[in-house]
Amino acid sequence: MTHRDVAMSSSQTHTLEHRKSQTTPRRLSDGQFAVLLLLPGVALLAGVVLYPLIAALVTAFFEQSLVLPGRTFVGLQNVVEVLQGDFLRLLRQTMVFTLGTTILPFVIGFALALALNTRIRGAKVLRGLMLIPWLVPGVVVSFLWMWIFNANYGVMNALLQGLGLVDDPQAWLAQPGTAMGAVILAKTWQSFPWMMVMLLAGLQTVPVELHEAAEMDGAGTVRRFFSITLPHLKGIVGLVVLLEFIWNFQHFDIIYVLTGGGPAGATQTFATAVYETAFQGYDLGKAGALGLLWMVLLMALVVVYVRFSEKGEER
Amino acid sequence: MSATTQLPATPTPSTPSSRVGGGTPRPPQRLRRGGLRSERPGVRIAAWATVIVCGGFGLLPVYWLLATSLTPRDQVFAYPPRFFPAAPTLDAFASLAANEQLFGYLRNSVIVSVITAVLSVLVSAYMGYSFSKFRYRGRRSLMYLVLASQMFPQALLLVTLYSVFSAYNLLNTYTALVLSFTTFTLPLCVWMLKGFFDTIPDELIEAARVDGASRLRIIHSIVLPLAAPGLIAAGLFAFVRGWNDFVFALTLAGPEKQTLPPGLVNTFIGEASTAWPELMAASLVVSLPVAIAFIALQKYLVGGLTAGAVKG
Repeated sequence: MTHRDVAMSSSQTHTLEHRKSQTTPRRLSDGQFAVLLLLPGVALLAGVVLYPLIAALVTAFFEQSLVLPGRTFVGLQNVVEVLQGDFLRLLRQTMVFTLGTTILPFVIGFALALALNTRIRGAKVLRGLMLIPWLVPGVVVSFLWMWIFNANYGVMNALLQGLGLVDDPQAWLAQPGTAMGAVILAKTWQSFPWMMVMLLAGLQTVPVELHEAAEMDGAGTVRRFFSITLPHLKGIVGLVVLLEFIWNFQHFDIIYVLTGGGPAGATQTFATAVYETAFQGYDLGKAGALGLLWMVLLMALVVVYVRFSEKGEER
Repeated sequence: MSATTQLPATPTPSTPSSRVGGGTPRPPQRLRRGGLRSERPGVRIAAWATVIVCGGFGLLPVYWLLATSLTPRDQVFAYPPRFFPAAPTLDAFASLAANEQLFGYLRNSVIVSVITAVLSVLVSAYMGYSFSKFRYRGRRSLMYLVLASQMFPQALLLVTLYSVFSAYNLLNTYTALVLSFTTFTLPLCVWMLKGFFDTIPDELIEAARVDGASRLRIIHSIVLPLAAPGLIAAGLFAFVRGWNDFVFALTLAGPEKQTLPPGLVNTFIGEASTAWPELMAASLVVSLPVAIAFIALQKYLVGGLTAGAVKG
């Protein structure tokens, strides 16, 4: 049955309703109706996202405590204090974390996507299994790696000692020199499957015919990768790297559970610092100031992402 | 009864929003895989080497999670650790089952995640439909504001949300958790559902309109039934995101209303000697619903992900 048939048959059975709707007084225009549909969502988002965000940024200019009522306007004092204090260290550590947890999963995810896109046996099963790390909740990732990195009984120490790579068991999460690396590794484990899935989906849109033609012309595997596969994946690579970067720039869960930002603040990022300042230090003004600087950096990234998305969305 | 009963089986949207979120081209149906027909031995060896190294990184920790959950408590504190537990036991799972506090967290997790999913789908269905089928000024800007809103940092939103919920005496309630969870589920659902509605032909809606169906009725008896797979997918995504949340539940709820993720942290972490087999067993249990949801979602995975969906 075609749509037209539907239209015809139902127009006979629905004349009654048709008449009723004609007599309804004051019909909304399409535009008004469309706005009406938006209202619940807009109200909700305004209440739980937009207002809280703006209000939090405004606290940057006040001296305000989480537990005491009232606040005093202090101008830029909080912002200046943050800039003179921790800001550069936090920026550096956030960048190290973000770059590490974007580049490593990308490399692993891309390598696996390429490998599983060949016709090796078991590729399909492996693709499914590889998703497991990404399916488990963030706190589970933290628990697991906390156990792996355990100083006394951890399997990481046993493995590295077995391979002769370290002499003595290390307290990976408790040493300022190793904690950030350990946290990055745990986050990488959680992120790479998503990269793999997205890149695999991209790889499958590369026309086989192109590869076949190039192969007949004598192009080797490496050559074909750089001249056919990679140019085809430009869009998807840009998207996954950008999204991963934005998410990691504000990642909280794994860092907070694994190290709580420690030892001695060595794994503190903007996310954990804002949280700690507000909910352990009760200093909303300083948290707001940190957040303000953080948001400026983040917004630049988000603008790039939205531009990027708009290109792919034609309507 | 209604026009919908006579509708032809309209193609179900299978890749909902592959356009959404950027330059992902929609994968053509049944295309041959991008792999080569003939693979040289070098390629084959490189592929296997990659699978063994990266696959080992991916799967050994999973094995360790399983193995530890089956290790008897007295064996877990041994160094070097045994790769295969000597006498595998389900004691850890049994001790979890006896822990009433954990059941409380589980109940809270289920209640909050389900309500969040239902509320998000309800609200975003209307919003997504408006974005998909109507054209008005400010539509695009609003769409991208919604997309961007899931990227506002949670730690920062919490600064205000905590004070507001506290002022309205909503701290430590399901309401606070559900409302705060919608900050990340709503943008996701709106974009996913918009993608689904885009695949419903305008002619169908036009036809119903010619028949005199009201605009609300068109939504409820034509569009939503057709987009049912999308509603379910969006709902499951929202459920999973709520289930996985840590920071909102940690901050906005106390022990009575807390969900599993912060509940497990409070129960197990920071004690003198962590009960690792129990913690690993609990980790498996809390991961299970997510795994099941994703098996159901496989078809929508990539499309939903491109919508800026699953945050790590």
